[in-house]
Amino acid sequence: MEDQNQESSDPVVALSLCDSTPLLWRAQDLRTVRSQSVVGALLGSLPRAPRQNLKLGRPLLLLPEEERLLRERHAALWVMTERTRSRIQAAEMSFLRREQQRSFEEQSVFALEDRKSALQRAMTSSQSGKNEALQRRLLDLDQNFTFPRSALAIQLSTTRAGLNYCPEARAFLQLDWPIRDQGNAQFDTRYLVFRDLWGRGFFLTSAGKFGGDFLVYPGDPLRFHAHFIAICLSLDEPVSLLDILAAARLGCNVKKTVLLCSPAPNGPVHYTSVQWSGMV
Amino acid sequence: MAEVMDGTKKRGETEPPNWILQHPVMKELEVGDSTQLHAAFLVFMDLTEVRQWTKVTYAESPELQLVLLEAKEKDGGPVQTVLPLPVHRSLSHRSIRHLLDRGFPLLLCAVASDSTLVYQRMTDGLVTPEPPVGLFHDAGRRQKQRRRKQ
Repeated sequence: MEDQNQESSDPVVALSLCDSTPLLWRAQDLRTVRSQSVVGALLGSLPRAPRQNLKLGRPLLLLPEEERLLRERHAALWVMTERTRSRIQAAEMSFLRREQQRSFEEQSVFALEDRKSALQRAMTSSQSGKNEALQRRLLDLDQNFTFPRSALAIQLSTTRAGLNYCPEARAFLQLDWPIRDQGNAQFDTRYLVFRDLWGRGFFLTSAGKFGGDFLVYPGDPLRFHAHFIAICLSLDEPVSLLDILAAARLGCNVKKTVLLCSPAPNGPVHYTSVQWSGMV
Repeated sequence: MAEVMDGTKKRGETEPPNWILQHPVMKELEVGDSTQLHAAFLVFMDLTEVRQWTKVTYAESPELQLVLLEAKEKDGGPVQTVLPLPVHRSLSHRSIRHLLDRGFPLLLCAVASDSTLVYQRMTDGLVTPEPPVGLFHDAGRRQKQRRRKQ
């Protein structure tokens, strides 16, 4: 129950897809997900320090598991796909056309008044002979005045409200192949483990550096070292003993416990800690 | 000893029988996998002769078709399950879970082809690693730098 309340009160983050890569752009979204112990990885260049890669800025790249977790928790997560983008463009176009029509009507009223006052000024200043002709023209003007569209002054708004993140950069970053494949059993295994550990309050990042699936932190990675290297495998998958030994040896050297994680079918996740026994 | 002698005598005639399999302890076991049996014997010898563990006995897991060892590090210590395996074998997480269900702490002992052994401890659940012992090296390094400056 409490969980549901939390879900509804949490702000929804705007996830944008660069091809198939899930990215977060807004600073408040980054804060939101971090407060929910989702870490991700920053990969943008900092404008003030573009020629280094130790400190990075927005956007935040999410792991596939993190993306799926956020999708599951927030029903109304806004995903910027090609379709929504074109729908937004269509909405913007019709808004612009309506604005232009309104502007045209306003301007034609002003133009008519302008014309009339010019004629009236001419009538007062000229002799009575010409006045009749001017009077006729004035009546004529009232009946069939048309304001030409080419004379329309176009207004350009230089400030806008709403989300519009550099579409040209997005086009530039478009990838040719999909990175993630969310449909397979391996991904499901990883995701179930991720969700379970995350639910226990751990912070997880990817553990490519350590030859595992996830690094498991007891708190925020900025404040803690990781305690575990999680390796996700299904219960019946045969693992070479050499692989287990390699992982355990590495884990011992970096003072972390290797964790074999297997989700049982429709049940809890089984965890087995592997540590060196210390017997030389 | 006599059996070993037997083995050497027969060498000229036919293939010699594996002397390890002739060991009195091994004769009692009936597990088909002879390479695993060989690994189990090496671990048995390591525990009894090198590490001086006590109460080292063989056990079998009929479900997994594996030879296990049960041993105590010291008299009065807890019984531990030891799973001896040749390094080129593979293992599923389910069988590890099965062995943990025996209720004793589990040691996996990998036996390489040159008979070197390594013991890995396997525990159910999440075991937090021990924090690093002693001062951080970083502090010492800074002090040294300071000394050099002086």
